[in-house]
Amino acid sequence: MILSFSIWPIVKIFALLFLAIYIIFSIVIIRQVQLMTATLEIGFEGQLRFLSVLHFLFAVGVFVFGILIL
Amino acid sequence: MPEIFSSDKPKGKQQKNELTGHHSRKVLYKDMPMQARRPFASFLVCPENVNFETKDHEEKVIMFLRKHFVTNIPWIFMVALMFLVPILVTNFSLFDGIPDNFMFVFILIWYLISIAYFLESFLTWFFNVYIVTDERIIDIDFYNLIYKEVSDANIDKIQDVTYKMGGVIRTMFNYGDVMVQTASEVPNFDFLAVPKPDKVAKILQDLRIEEQQEAIEGRVR
Repeated sequence: MILSFSIWPIVKIFALLFLAIYIIFSIVIIRQVQLMTATLEIGFEGQLRFLSVLHFLFAVGVFVFGILIL
Repeated sequence: MPEIFSSDKPKGKQQKNELTGHHSRKVLYKDMPMQARRPFASFLVCPENVNFETKDHEEKVIMFLRKHFVTNIPWIFMVALMFLVPILVTNFSLFDGIPDNFMFVFILIWYLISIAYFLESFLTWFFNVYIVTDERIIDIDFYNLIYKEVSDANIDKIQDVTYKMGGVIRTMFNYGDVMVQTASEVPNFDFLAVPKPDKVAKILQDLRIEEQQEAIEGRVR
């Protein structure tokens, strides 16, 4: 019982910290896709941008969900 | 009028010479109809609407290359495994001590990592391309998240083209490496794991001959 009280709040902080860093990473991916599609146009740009934004939203969603349920 | 002046025979001969000559072979590439673009194709001749940052208005893309799709199988397999891990792991008693809410968030984090790995692998394959235009060869490389390298060399700077294919998988799926040595600032252009390396080398050879022909005729753009 003592162990669970001492460990899980720390785990929660680390999990949220990881998710916050991951959100930054997903923003970098959006920027990367923008850079790539500006350099090269092949005909899949719209879908790729949508995918990168979806990934960012998923990361934000998991972060918010983490705050709520942990 | 003597028959000799109206004869079609010499004209026919001339046409035949034009068709079989090196020059006409290159003109064939230039005049080839544009292929409809297929975003996931690894080998396209005269693709439609392929644009890159430094493309000249009059420049025509003759060949568009990237690594053969087969080279993606290892990371696709890895991603599939990563997606299956949470389903398998949750049945282990080893993780019974973890509260349900934490377990759920850990699984979501695992899926995020899997998606990130998928995105990075896919983007690296999709955007690392080699483009051959009627004037130059371009190598576009994205090494990591924020670092890109775009190198190009004029066709007339090409000195040597070597291609190699080896191994069971490469022979089976007909892909290999094409090494282009140039006299430009970037001495080597390596087209790695591209489909039909023999065709790529042949097209580069034809373009070189055409470029020499253009230089002789003074048609250099």
